[in-house]
Amino acid sequence: MNGSLFYLNLVMNGLVQGLVIGLAALALTLVFAVARFPNAATGDLMTVGAYAGIGVQALNVRSVIVQGAAAILACSVLAIGQYWFVLRYLRGRGLVSLLLASIGLALATRGALSFFVGQDQYLFNTPIMRPYVIAGLRVQVVDLWLAVASLVCVTATFAMLFLTPVGRRMRAIADNAELARASGIRMQRVMIPLWAAVGAICGVAGMILGIKTVVLPEAGWHILLPAFAAMVLGGLGNPIGAVVAGILLGVVQELSTPFVGFTYKIALSFIVLAVILTVRPQGLFGSAEVVR
Amino acid sequence: MLSYLIAILIVTGIYALLTQALNFHYGFMGLINFGHVGFFAIGAYTSALLTLSGHSIALGFVAAIVLAALSACPLGLLALRLREDYLAIVTLGFAEIVRVVIVSEDWLTRGTQGLANVPRPFASLGASGQEIAYLGLVVACNVLAAALIARLAYSPFGRLIEAIRDDETAISTLGKYPAGAKLRVFMVGAGIAGLAGALYAHYITYVVPDQFVPLVTFYVWMAMILGGVGSLPGSFIGAAILVALLEGTRFIRDLLPGVMEIQMASVRIFLIGVGLVLFVLLRPQGVMGLRVRT
Amino acid sequence: MILNRRTLLKTAAVAGAMPALMRTQGAGAAEPFRVGALNPVTGAGSPYGSSMQKAILFAVKEINAAGGAGGQTLEVVAEDDQTSPEPAVLAAKKLVEVNKVRAVLGTWASGVALAVSPIFDAAGIIHTTVAGTSGLAAVNKKGFAFRFAGTSEGIGRSLADGALEEGFKRASIMAFNNASGREMLQGAKSVLQKAGREIVAEVIYEPNQPSYRSEIQAALAKQPEVLIMGSFLPDLTIILREVLQSGADVKFVVPAWAVTPKSIEALGAATDGVLLADYESALGSDAYASFKQRFKTDSGIDISGNHYASCAYDMAMTLALGMEAAGAGADNAAIVKAMHQISGPPGKAVSSFATGKELIKSGQKINYEGASGPLDFDDGGNAKPIYKLMIVKDGKINQHRILKL
Repeated sequence: MNGSLFYLNLVMNGLVQGLVIGLAALALTLVFAVARFPNAATGDLMTVGAYAGIGVQALNVRSVIVQGAAAILACSVLAIGQYWFVLRYLRGRGLVSLLLASIGLALATRGALSFFVGQDQYLFNTPIMRPYVIAGLRVQVVDLWLAVASLVCVTATFAMLFLTPVGRRMRAIADNAELARASGIRMQRVMIPLWAAVGAICGVAGMILGIKTVVLPEAGWHILLPAFAAMVLGGLGNPIGAVVAGILLGVVQELSTPFVGFTYKIALSFIVLAVILTVRPQGLFGSAEVVR
Repeated sequence: MLSYLIAILIVTGIYALLTQALNFHYGFMGLINFGHVGFFAIGAYTSALLTLSGHSIALGFVAAIVLAALSACPLGLLALRLREDYLAIVTLGFAEIVRVVIVSEDWLTRGTQGLANVPRPFASLGASGQEIAYLGLVVACNVLAAALIARLAYSPFGRLIEAIRDDETAISTLGKYPAGAKLRVFMVGAGIAGLAGALYAHYITYVVPDQFVPLVTFYVWMAMILGGVGSLPGSFIGAAILVALLEGTRFIRDLLPGVMEIQMASVRIFLIGVGLVLFVLLRPQGVMGLRVRT
Repeated sequence: MILNRRTLLKTAAVAGAMPALMRTQGAGAAEPFRVGALNPVTGAGSPYGSSMQKAILFAVKEINAAGGAGGQTLEVVAEDDQTSPEPAVLAAKKLVEVNKVRAVLGTWASGVALAVSPIFDAAGIIHTTVAGTSGLAAVNKKGFAFRFAGTSEGIGRSLADGALEEGFKRASIMAFNNASGREMLQGAKSVLQKAGREIVAEVIYEPNQPSYRSEIQAALAKQPEVLIMGSFLPDLTIILREVLQSGADVKFVVPAWAVTPKSIEALGAATDGVLLADYESALGSDAYASFKQRFKTDSGIDISGNHYASCAYDMAMTLALGMEAAGAGADNAAIVKAMHQISGPPGKAVSSFATGKELIKSGQKINYEGASGPLDFDDGGNAKPIYKLMIVKDGKINQHRILKL
């Protein structure tokens, strides 16, 4: 493999990693934009999605679409439940209360899940497909699907935010919650669709993570830290920023491996974050206004 | 039985020290620090490395405090520029960077192999005497930390801090320098967490990067919330409840025939999560809370 | 629920009274021999830990069904060490001080074993582990510790030896970044270097990543013929899939614990030719087959790919046979001595507790051949390292050859 191709393949690897992280960051940032806290339960929500998919597979349903639909359904129900029974009561209580509550929800979700599914790993029985080799660049079939799924998620999120009335209300709340309420926007009517959307994204992200890796109770939790970094780097509350930042961090991370090795790369996203925040405290794509 | 109780008390004491430090950061100054375990790790490794290379334990402890405090300096400078929502993530990232550095720099830290046989002080006192003396040391450290925090809180510096927390802009216009005060609070708390790290390393006698994961930070936050944000006695009560929750589930399991540890491990995580949610929901001021700040 | 100081005090009082309550319970019945099962139920060891714990419980059930050992029944106090030293130390202290166990079975992680060993050593408690760290010898002062698995270094050497036997010339080594993975890498490296083979790349990877493609790319950059993997189950499953998907023409030598029939099934026909290094008698021996079948029937657990479950079962068996051979009321030193005797030659080979017990009763010497291997401990309490190579063919794991180390 010649030099430039080697790096090109690394970029490819980074893109794939970044898409997974970007999807999780998208779910995080959507919550942040409207409810103003980093939702630590996101990772475990993804785990639940992966297990929902596995559950459908265990019923001998081979279709990834059906498995994914189950994952989306399970995650949306759980996300709405978490909002309805816990997070709803913490509105206006500040970032720390909400963050801690979401950590509690994350642990409770994982505990309940592992009580029933145990600690053994589960696998999606996806057939192994050979990659397309385009001018020496290896493109995996599964990664193409990943890219398509990510694109669909991002597009759907944008369509929801900018083309639907509920999206307009979400943006109004994101801009100024008090003003939005004063102008007659009912919180519940916005929050339920929001958490449903967050659940749907987590379901897709969880399925993708499950198909690419193995399904274990702690699988989603491990994605949380890099996803946090992507969310902040993207400018808190900026959906496109989160996905772009996720991809960017993935690419930088993989490109760095010939120089810093395979251990430092997992901290690299935070180092990049620290450097960029020193120069630009509002993040890459955050305007001063969005951050407030 | 006694030795087990002492072990529990020592671990509780170490968590109490961490909780005091976090309470100093958050309850006192409003600094959102989700990288507490980073300072804890720096303290543990500093003291372990120094004593393993033949230096005295006393030097190890002092170095642990100093190094942890110094490590808070660059982080503090960055943190001062950021809003609180960024700070939570940046500090979380700081702790992760510390862990990865420890994993990577194996020429110094032995990486994932960990450092074994970290010396225990008071070896001349025999097995049980050593434990009791160590408990004494942990208690003494807690008392000193509490005295320091109380002294700072009721000094002119403490009043400055409270004023900054309540209205930073007003204080700057009075010609005070809020950033410097914040940085000092950050460093003092980090130093106390470093001390907790040193106590931990010399008690467990084995340090490995796996011990310094974000979960430890969350546990300390939980202890602080349980005990009461901004309350010094709350730090101790919170740490005690935390350890009781972590360890108590073992005894509950022993009393319940038919429940296996395998399930209990899941139940334990579940209970900790639910406990955290319930406290945030129902009693945000904690057991000993003075004011609602969460 | 509103928590106030009074209810909390009440709770605290109840919690404080609990140990006392337990002790009175324990004192009533005829005193059983208490055994701690300290296993990694959660954390990094979780793919192995719960089956280990169930295997110990299953073994003790069999032992008690055969009338117990040395005139006593066994009672298990099970704990989760969370694959982390601090909870492990607290659990160890509880087992020793509160539950008064005489033996603790089944620590897994090197860090945990190193942290709890001094406690058990000081208290004169028998400690059996599968931790592969070489540092264990230094904390085994009384000689009451046994290691039921090979050292990680030994497994690493067996992996490289397998690659040599198969005639591969150019190898890359990949290893999980923990104590065990690194020691496997060192072991493999030493064998390859001694044989003068070329190591084209060494890659140490971090766990819990969504993809290992860059690591794989680095390992495969100089076209090795074989990848030697110091891995565990979840990470190897992901790496195998990614390598097979990439279509790279490379063979694998992996530890048997990192592959299960389920993972082979999920990955499909492309896994053909993957080589597994394992204990000599582990897969394919009667003891193994019998334990696997009985355990499956009883607990519904398939132990394929979890070598440590067999080890955990053997721990309880060896301890019980040692108790039987040492006789009623023997102290731990005598039991340890007997454990050495009954697990190695000379003696009649046995693989079940009931048979062993009868033979001991009739005054014969026995040699317990375990589900995990022949055991045959050396003076330091290490199981004898005899390894073999197996190969995946048509989705099945088949015997291949014995490795001479």
